[in-house]
Amino acid sequence: MRNARQRFCFLFLCALVSACAHYPRNDALQSYRPEEGYRFDALQDGDNTDSLFLCLALSGGGTRAAALAYGVMRRLDEVTITWKGKQRRLLDELDCISSVSGGSFTAAYYALFGRRLFQDFRARFLDRDVQQTLFHRVFYPGNLVRLLSPYFGPIDLAAEYYGETVFEDRTFGDLIASGRRPFIMVNATNLASGERFDFTQDQFDLLGSDLATFPVARAVAASSAFPILLSPVSLFNHPQPPGFALPDEYKDAEQDYFLNRRRYQWARNRLSLLDKAERPYVHIMDGGLADNIGLRAIDNAYRRGFIRHRLNDGLIEKLVLVVVNARTEAQDEVTRMESPPSLAFVAYKTATISMDNYSFETIEMVRELSAERVKAQQVVAACQQRLAERCPGAPGLPTFAVAVDPHVIELNFEMISDPQRRRYFLELPTTFALPRPAVNDLIAMGGELLDRSPEFQQFLMGVVPKR
Amino acid sequence: MEYLLVHFPASRRVKVGNVFQGKTEELIELEAGTYTITLDEPPINFTPKKQEVRLAGTTPLSPREVTFAQR
Repeated sequence: MRNARQRFCFLFLCALVSACAHYPRNDALQSYRPEEGYRFDALQDGDNTDSLFLCLALSGGGTRAAALAYGVMRRLDEVTITWKGKQRRLLDELDCISSVSGGSFTAAYYALFGRRLFQDFRARFLDRDVQQTLFHRVFYPGNLVRLLSPYFGPIDLAAEYYGETVFEDRTFGDLIASGRRPFIMVNATNLASGERFDFTQDQFDLLGSDLATFPVARAVAASSAFPILLSPVSLFNHPQPPGFALPDEYKDAEQDYFLNRRRYQWARNRLSLLDKAERPYVHIMDGGLADNIGLRAIDNAYRRGFIRHRLNDGLIEKLVLVVVNARTEAQDEVTRMESPPSLAFVAYKTATISMDNYSFETIEMVRELSAERVKAQQVVAACQQRLAERCPGAPGLPTFAVAVDPHVIELNFEMISDPQRRRYFLELPTTFALPRPAVNDLIAMGGELLDRSPEFQQFLMGVVPKR
Repeated sequence: MEYLLVHFPASRRVKVGNVFQGKTEELIELEAGTYTITLDEPPINFTPKKQEVRLAGTTPLSPREVTFAQR
């Protein structure tokens, strides 16, 4: 009798804990303040010039991607440049980082803690067996009960863990308070629309939500919520706050169905969040599903966002975009098997094939965009020269505010010339638990790839003093 | 990309939608599409108050030209 009562009490307690378990709710925005919040324009530039504008795109790929990104950033920190008469570390000119999945850990850590990245990020994340710890956490008795709730999933446990051990429970409000660049765009994927979702106040405005109180760890968890293994991060789509006014760019872009389908689709996808009755919740997961190299957010800023505004204002003279792509190639394994691959393997490939298919195209698209600008500048300059020669005294042609010198630099393992070394890196697994020697190799390779890049060397020629 | 050139007798910042982007008599590079163009104020000494333009098929040598008259 006594046992039965104890059992009932235990089960009742479990049901109670389970019923109480709910993912943290993103806060509603109290008032619409388009000049404030986590937006590029709200951050001070300090000593970081606009004239040399440096952005990083950090790809997904678990610890492999995080370590490679770390290596590239460490090398950027070692390079001294002279710009506008001042000597500085190249990393101090970093203006924005767009990141996906594993790359988001490095990006968010640097944005929060700056150069501390090079002191303790290895111990806090890169050298840890994150997967095993997460796996054990699932089986803590309290967590098992919480996971029975339909409103609490493994991703919520992961976010708690990342908050405690990596990001010190900081929020985007801390990034706003620091007021310094780089501006980070942590990318996830909207599960319903398949669209890229970034953790910026511009995006959260449409959710009627305040990003300032949102934990950075939760954004990173969403960005790295690998399909099948982890559940999505869920967000409330709140009513718009008083005073909300739709920016003109959305209203204008909605008319562009025949004129510019890309711009039209961008606006439509974003504006779909304003339909609160149809979409009261948004579920997001791994950013790699929409773009596994994180370049789309930079492409968006280049076409119509903060980079475009600065280009037209003549503020940017050198534009440097570095894509750190930790892509691997593990396809040989399947082509060596006579039997059809397992369902688990097929599920994994289904979730990842699309991630990699468009990466190459995205990089080429951005390259073409920057080449188009260079060509436009050359055409205007050549015509101006002809005009001056043939019609001296004729009024000059209109020119751009500034002749921009753009550099698009992609770093990936295919750049490694030694076939054995290349194969070693291309076969590193996507996991949140890599052995320490592999992490060492990746960090060293990050710097090496940067040094090997002809495009990076060409850029350096203009900013590194000659000896 | 497309090219816009805004004319006004004096040098003035150009507002594209809600954002300042470039100045009058300079080439402004934008993706194809519909835009609401106006000038920095005060003073509001220009007319019309704003203009909607559709950018397509331009080149840097033949941009879409938009003129604001001084009042």
